[in-house]
Amino acid sequence: MKYIPKKIPEGINVTSRHPLLNFAYLLGTVVAVSIFIFVVLGFVAEWLVIRVSPETETQIGDMLVQPALDKEITDDKRIQYIEELLNSLLIPGETTRLPLQVHLINNDVINAAITVGGHVLVHTALLETVKSENELALVLGHELGHFQAHDPLKSLGRSLVFLTVSSILGVGMSQSGGLPKIIPLTSELTNLNYSRIQERAADIYGFNRVVKHYGHGGHSLDFFERLAKGESKLQKVSQYFLTHPLSQDRINDLNAEAAKQGWKMEEEVTPLPQWLHCSNMKPCEQAE
Amino acid sequence: MDALVQILFFVVLLILGYFWGRYFEKRHYKSILRREKKTLNIPIVNFGAKQSLIDVQEAALFAGSVVISIDYFKMISAAFRNLVGGRVTVYESLLDRGRREALLRMKEDAIKWGANQILNVRLETATIGGSSGNNSGPGSIEVIAYGTGVK
Amino acid sequence: MNNKKEKNVILTTLEGVPGQTIMEHYGLVQGSTIRAKHIGKDIMASFKNIVGGELKGYTELLQESRKEALERMVEQATELGANAVVNIRFSTSSVAQGVAELFAYGTAVKVES
Repeated sequence: MKYIPKKIPEGINVTSRHPLLNFAYLLGTVVAVSIFIFVVLGFVAEWLVIRVSPETETQIGDMLVQPALDKEITDDKRIQYIEELLNSLLIPGETTRLPLQVHLINNDVINAAITVGGHVLVHTALLETVKSENELALVLGHELGHFQAHDPLKSLGRSLVFLTVSSILGVGMSQSGGLPKIIPLTSELTNLNYSRIQERAADIYGFNRVVKHYGHGGHSLDFFERLAKGESKLQKVSQYFLTHPLSQDRINDLNAEAAKQGWKMEEEVTPLPQWLHCSNMKPCEQAE
Repeated sequence: MDALVQILFFVVLLILGYFWGRYFEKRHYKSILRREKKTLNIPIVNFGAKQSLIDVQEAALFAGSVVISIDYFKMISAAFRNLVGGRVTVYESLLDRGRREALLRMKEDAIKWGANQILNVRLETATIGGSSGNNSGPGSIEVIAYGTGVK
Repeated sequence: MNNKKEKNVILTTLEGVPGQTIMEHYGLVQGSTIRAKHIGKDIMASFKNIVGGELKGYTELLQESRKEALERMVEQATELGANAVVNIRFSTSSVAQGVAELFAYGTAVKVES
């Protein structure tokens, strides 16, 4: 048997397809499929979740709100004031599907939120920051808008879907050599974009109710304007990753809406009750 | 913010992996081709065990091995491929390089000893767990080639 | 890796030693060694995992370990009085995360020319 040296041609065992092309195809497929899954499943979850009966919603809400009530302040006249302001924003004949409950939370973060079951959480820091009733009314109106649009329930439904799907995919991921968080990221971004649409809608709703209540929208945007000044450039870069639109964008949007509807923006300010930031609205002690 | 940093980090690693990986691969293939051409005159065969022994002076065991690591780009491509399914083309060149390198090392060792052919060659591939620690993904592969050199 | 071992045991992957005849055989001999990855090399390797390429540290480590497995097999064979090991095979298996067993086995024989 004679040996004849021959060279084996290249490219038989190795596919010549360009790796970048291959990568683009894979990335595109994975992103498209995950967007599709999250959009479709998200809407299915919403469709189901807004059919939850008010009793069930109350139960879920009571359960979810419990951890947030650690530093709740009870027996305070401010709660009553906020409740009255909140209810005055509803136009005659409009009702909420559950009675709203205001909780005053002792917290240094300027924030207000609404949860499933109609729990309105107002941080004390917010009351210290607002300078007129119009400002506070817009914030409360915004939260009211979320509740009327079933937003807390919807986001709960979405996060359940998100958790389920990512834990199913997580099984496949752990075997594939540390897949980056591209799938969670994709869905997170999809959700964020969606959530900003909700925020805009809630802004418009709140603004509308403020204008109906006071007859004008003047001074209600001052609060956002003060926030906008504090926002750094860095936040502008990462705007896509924020759930709430930037304050400046919100102001612009609302001003545009006012112009469109012909709402008056230059009117007298409605003052806040004195000592709103003080317990029971009594003059605060000097130490504070 | 966190998500932004994460994406940036990921993209930087990906680009780094792609360009360095391509560079190493090209350089490696160049060296493989050159050495294969040089050693082509010594036959390596995987028969020899089940036939009558050939008449030679001496015989000895030779082995060549190499551990090759995948790059980040390949790893991510393969991870995506794992979700989509189909042929994992990015790994093909990795294994091809590993096998040929291992064979070459064995061959070069045997040539240095003075072998005129290498009989009954066996190849084996093993994965060395991913070095990132928490997963057992295909971090790198070890290929070993061994056979009997005769002269 | 060749037969320059103590007492010159001939190692082949063939079923005999070319040019010699098997007089006696003593059955299967084995050599095995289990090695864990070295933490320092592991850190280097994790950098290499980003850019790809050969992990020289691991190649050397495994070569060394395989040599040790082979030496143990030869030790068994010399204890039995063999002067050659034929039909040698290698195998590698990962026992646990980061731990690999390198294994060599063959048949110990006595050959004469």
